Amino acid sequence: MSTPVVTVHEAVVGDGTSARSRTARRWRRARWPLGLLALVVAAGVLSALPEPRTSTLTLAPDNPGDLGARAAAQILGRQGVDVRYVRHIADVETLAGPGSTVLVVGDYLLTDDQVDALGATDADLVLVDAGWALGALTPSLASSGGGSDAPEVRTAQCEDPDAVAAGAITAGGSLLATGPGAVVCFPEPGSSTDAGGAYAVAESDGRRIVAVADMAPFTNERLAEQGNAALVLRALGRHERLVWYIPSLDDVGAAGGSEPAPGELLPPVVPILALQLLLVVVVAAFWRGRRLGRLVTERLPVVVRAGETTRGRGRLYRRGRSYGHAAAALRAGTAARSAARLGLPRSAPAPLVVDAISRAAGRRPADVEALLYGPPPTDDRGLARLARDLDHLESEVHRT
Amino acid sequence: MAVTWRAVVLAALGLPVVLVVPAAGTVLLWTLLVVVACAVDVALAASPRQVAIRREVPASVRLTEPATSTLTLTNLGPRRLRALVRDAWPPSTAAQTDRHDVDVRPGDGTRVRTVLVPTRRGDAHADRVTIRTLGPLRLAGRQASLETPGRLRVLPEFASRRHLPSRLARLRELDGRASVQVRGPGTEFDSLREYVIGDDVRAIDWRATARRSDVVVRTWRPERDRRVLIVLDSGRTSAVRVLDAPRLDASIEAALLLAALATKAGDRVELLVFDRKVRGRVASATGARVMAAFADSLAVVEPELVETDWPGIVAQVRQRLSQRALVVLLTALDPSVVEQGLLGVAGQLTERHQVVLASVSDPEVDALRTARAGAAEVFDAAAAERVGLERAAVAVRLRQRGAEVVDALPDDLAPRLADTYIALKAAGRL
Repeated sequence: MSTPVVTVHEAVVGDGTSARSRTARRWRRARWPLGLLALVVAAGVLSALPEPRTSTLTLAPDNPGDLGARAAAQILGRQGVDVRYVRHIADVETLAGPGSTVLVVGDYLLTDDQVDALGATDADLVLVDAGWALGALTPSLASSGGGSDAPEVRTAQCEDPDAVAAGAITAGGSLLATGPGAVVCFPEPGSSTDAGGAYAVAESDGRRIVAVADMAPFTNERLAEQGNAALVLRALGRHERLVWYIPSLDDVGAAGGSEPAPGELLPPVVPILALQLLLVVVVAAFWRGRRLGRLVTERLPVVVRAGETTRGRGRLYRRGRSYGHAAAALRAGTAARSAARLGLPRSAPAPLVVDAISRAAGRRPADVEALLYGPPPTDDRGLARLARDLDHLESEVHRT
Repeated sequence: MAVTWRAVVLAALGLPVVLVVPAAGTVLLWTLLVVVACAVDVALAASPRQVAIRREVPASVRLTEPATSTLTLTNLGPRRLRALVRDAWPPSTAAQTDRHDVDVRPGDGTRVRTVLVPTRRGDAHADRVTIRTLGPLRLAGRQASLETPGRLRVLPEFASRRHLPSRLARLRELDGRASVQVRGPGTEFDSLREYVIGDDVRAIDWRATARRSDVVVRTWRPERDRRVLIVLDSGRTSAVRVLDAPRLDASIEAALLLAALATKAGDRVELLVFDRKVRGRVASATGARVMAAFADSLAVVEPELVETDWPGIVAQVRQRLSQRALVVLLTALDPSVVEQGLLGVAGQLTERHQVVLASVSDPEVDALRTARAGAAEVFDAAAAERVGLERAAVAVRLRQRGAEVVDALPDDLAPRLADTYIALKAAGRL
């Protein structure tokens, strides 16, 4: 080849852009994505801001559904009661004290330790649908377990001022007085309070324990019925502060309020240090993230291998279990190569080929004919044996 | 805009400061410090757009041989240019190091060299030159990627040229032993010389012998100035990969060897690359220019994923050749493709010209044919056997129409085709 000719290209200075044109181009390119991003952020903020968080938990103060109790919580809040919604017994211990009310909704998830912790607080207790915890907290009251559970209209039939103020409520269930100083109200229609009622009050260790057998009067659905609202608001609104406690599954530490959170164990410098580390990481990301020019692409040649079609054909034979076709191909190949080696023309008839091969290989013509023109094999093993036998035959022809 | 590792170190230097004064304000202050330092550095960095870039690159290089792309950078700006320069080329050019640190005072120039060792045939186009200038603190800098045209034509490797000396020797042999050779219809009278034992007695020129006291024989030499047309099929079958390269590359090697050989033998060689239209051609080049023209036009041939138009090829051949010539078809001996395309028109070519069909066969099929490891392999072997039989059958049909068929593995195709050419020449069939 001739000596290489070096091409010298014209010198290039800059790319014809100015700072202004680059800024304009970047803005033109980024404005639509930026606008879209701003729209999404704005929509998110707008949808998140005014609407307070709600839940679907039964009798939760933030549940606006039929079984929720947001109506009662909001009325109490407007009347100046400080309603605190908690899910952990540790929070109850922190918030509850003399001059506050603790509302306990259900006792299915309460442990002995947690009931003891409730008993250790000085606050008044309102127990809703919590017959087992009731028995542990005061000897004066117990859940009878009997009576109808379906809410029905019941009249007070007792001396308790709250019950008298309510007059009648819709509730079910049955609570019994088992000690002195206990008052039971709202018995089943047609029976007396001795047989049990939906509402009971007892004084125990200098505090008031109110028990309601049914959560129906508290729900948004039934709060406005009969005297439900009067009873609920009077029971919960006795003090400035109401701790609204709904036990939860993940509340494992019974009275473990004194254990510090993991974050509190770290020295105070750690969060600041983490912030500085974040700065380092961001700068490092800028350092590594900026590419020195774009990637250079190139068209690649086709990568299909020439043998693909042959392999595909082999798979087709196999899937179709075409032992006949496969055997015929193997036999024809052996016959053609052997015949060529023995100097026979391609058009030589089969008997001539068999004769020549049997003489060259020193085998009986019948054997060679069976091998080359016999019946096709019927299974994998037969085909493999045929292939091996053909190889042997061919190698014997080769030797002569 | 780009930052360096020094900026990261600067940010990390804030860690002990934060340990001494643990307050969120410290972090904020340090962040501000890093940002301001980087901004100042960017503002003081030289502009990458005030650099004149001149590119020098060889017009062509043979595959696997190194070439050097040289960039001459002249600093036109008023500031000292501390920069990292990247001369970007496609991956197949296998640039050794395409990043260069430069430090140029205003008005000065410098030169950076990127050594390319191409691994693929064809035109390699240079991508942008990226200049990242750094400020005096080397914390941050400015970056620009500039279009700087450059093209390097990577010629075929012509690895088959190692077969050339032996074939040329045989060609010379053919020349010298003329009188021993059977007189064919196509041999030309060359000269008279004295009889030596072993010469064909039929070559004795009795009239010349009568004039002298010695027995004189006529010598013959193969014809010269015959025309050879190499037709390279760049249709879809040429795109298939055989071993590690497309089938086309093996065909190109064969074409180059045949062209070199035929040129040395005194024949006129032409090239036609065709699929559905003409992709390349070499005509009317003579002497030393033939090989350069061949390499140049074969360098940029790429397989096209279209079916080859064989009647079109026949029309092209007819247009280019008025007298009898050797037509070499470098294509694939693919039974179904040949039956639909070439077989229909082969007769029109062979009735006027000597036709040789050269095809690359696949060693993988041979390996499949002898595999016996399991049932699946035996089925594959049967399929390979069937493919081989079909190839043989289609080759027979082509031979019946008067064409020579050369079917060889990629590495063997070039020498086998050269041997076929020599054999045809010896037999006077050109």
